Amino acid sequence: MRRWLFLGLAAASAAQAASEAEVRAIAAHGPWPPAFRADPSNRASGNPAAIELGERLFFERRLSANGEVSCSRCHLPERNWTDGEARAQGLARVDRNAQSVVNARLQRWFGWDGAQDSLWAQSLRPLLDARELGASAAHVAGLLRADRDLACRYREVFGELPAEDEAVMVGAAKALAAFQETLVSARTPFDEFRDALLKGDAAGMAKYPEPAKRGLGIFLGKGACNTCHTGPAFSNGEFHDTGVPFFIEPGRVDAGRHEGIRKLRASRFNLLGPYNDDPRRSTATGTTHVTLEHRNFGEFRTPSLRNLALTAPYMHNGRLASLRDVVNHYSTVSPDRLHSDGEAILKPLKLSAQESRDLVAFLESLQDGGANYRRRPLAADCR
Amino acid sequence: MRRWLALALLAPAAQACELPGGAAQSIRSPTHSVVYRAAPRVGEHFAVEFAVCPAPEGVQLDAWMPAHRHGMNYAPSVTALGGGRYRAEGLLFHMPGEWEFVFVLRAGGATQRLVRGLRVE
Repeated sequence: MRRWLFLGLAAASAAQAASEAEVRAIAAHGPWPPAFRADPSNRASGNPAAIELGERLFFERRLSANGEVSCSRCHLPERNWTDGEARAQGLARVDRNAQSVVNARLQRWFGWDGAQDSLWAQSLRPLLDARELGASAAHVAGLLRADRDLACRYREVFGELPAEDEAVMVGAAKALAAFQETLVSARTPFDEFRDALLKGDAAGMAKYPEPAKRGLGIFLGKGACNTCHTGPAFSNGEFHDTGVPFFIEPGRVDAGRHEGIRKLRASRFNLLGPYNDDPRRSTATGTTHVTLEHRNFGEFRTPSLRNLALTAPYMHNGRLASLRDVVNHYSTVSPDRLHSDGEAILKPLKLSAQESRDLVAFLESLQDGGANYRRRPLAADCR
Repeated sequence: MRRWLALALLAPAAQACELPGGAAQSIRSPTHSVVYRAAPRVGEHFAVEFAVCPAPEGVQLDAWMPAHRHGMNYAPSVTALGGGRYRAEGLLFHMPGEWEFVFVLRAGGATQRLVRGLRVE
């Protein structure tokens, strides 16, 4: 086990004590925020008119079958774009926890099971899920055709509304994605520490609380949390069995990634399908090459850790109420709960009470405050 | 007898391979050489260009993380470029650490695996 000596030292000496490997490991979690890169599969990506249309649609309850549920029912701005519930509730209760849509544009796969390979396809899914908005292509297209303002904004982005309801609905989903791409978390105390470390700025490093520094040492060392929580977003974007039970109720299980891959392949809205706007299919590499294996059963996508403290409860089914519970889960996880033919990564960390507190302090230092979104005032109707 | 011995000494066990474009890694077995070039970064799809000498009847490329007992979540596709050169696409290392490239060659009715470890950060 590599020792992370410098993180517990006084900041003034830390820069000298840090090994190159230690600095590289910390540097890998930045820089932040990442530069914007338009999604080539979505011709509305980065288009201001699409962003404005998407924002309206995100809060538009008439998109749902009963006119009462919008995307913001489960993705509330004031809760870091999640809902605070263990399992989300649209028209009915679903089986999984609502994930934040902040930083979603950085993902390779979408949803806990990765059944979608683009943010626009992910935006389509809850529209059609009977438990969420319960809509249909005809319903969505009907609203966009009937509402003069929405229809006008749609034309501004995509041109005349297509005759096919499904094509109209996909356009709406692409506008929803364009809006969500703008939701990026702000810099955090960890980012300030990382950048200070890289610059050799001892005074800047000293501002990072000592418990968070010790927690970072555990994250990178004893905990090896950065095996899966990699990169600037603290997620490798892939899927793992973390020993969380996947029974939903007696006789019903959540197959996770295994079912996600099957749904992905069956979907006409995937990046290999007719609605990808990129003729080169340059972002479809994963969809082309992903494999389905037995071990995928019960695997769920590694979530980002940014603003984690604002998104309780945790895990795919929201069964853990607090960050302390999450740390305790990994501290005591039983290998007997993991696939016998799965990856050999998890083992109980056996953290002391102090180590657990420090790791929580580090995770809390990945929080930006969560108040960087202001809904723009409604502009005059588009005509 | 002397003539045959000379020929055996002159012919390397595995024919030397070259890959245009600069520095590359190489692996040798008694019968084959593989020269490859790759620049994997954690969490990003990447391609591997490689040459096999002599050209086999079939070739596959996979990768494995021995300590974690898992491979990639993706099956690379290999395209023959001609002249014993290939391009594999669709690879992704989803974790930092020790990985192994595994080149699987089929030639003369036999299959062999040429393995080379690498550390990815």
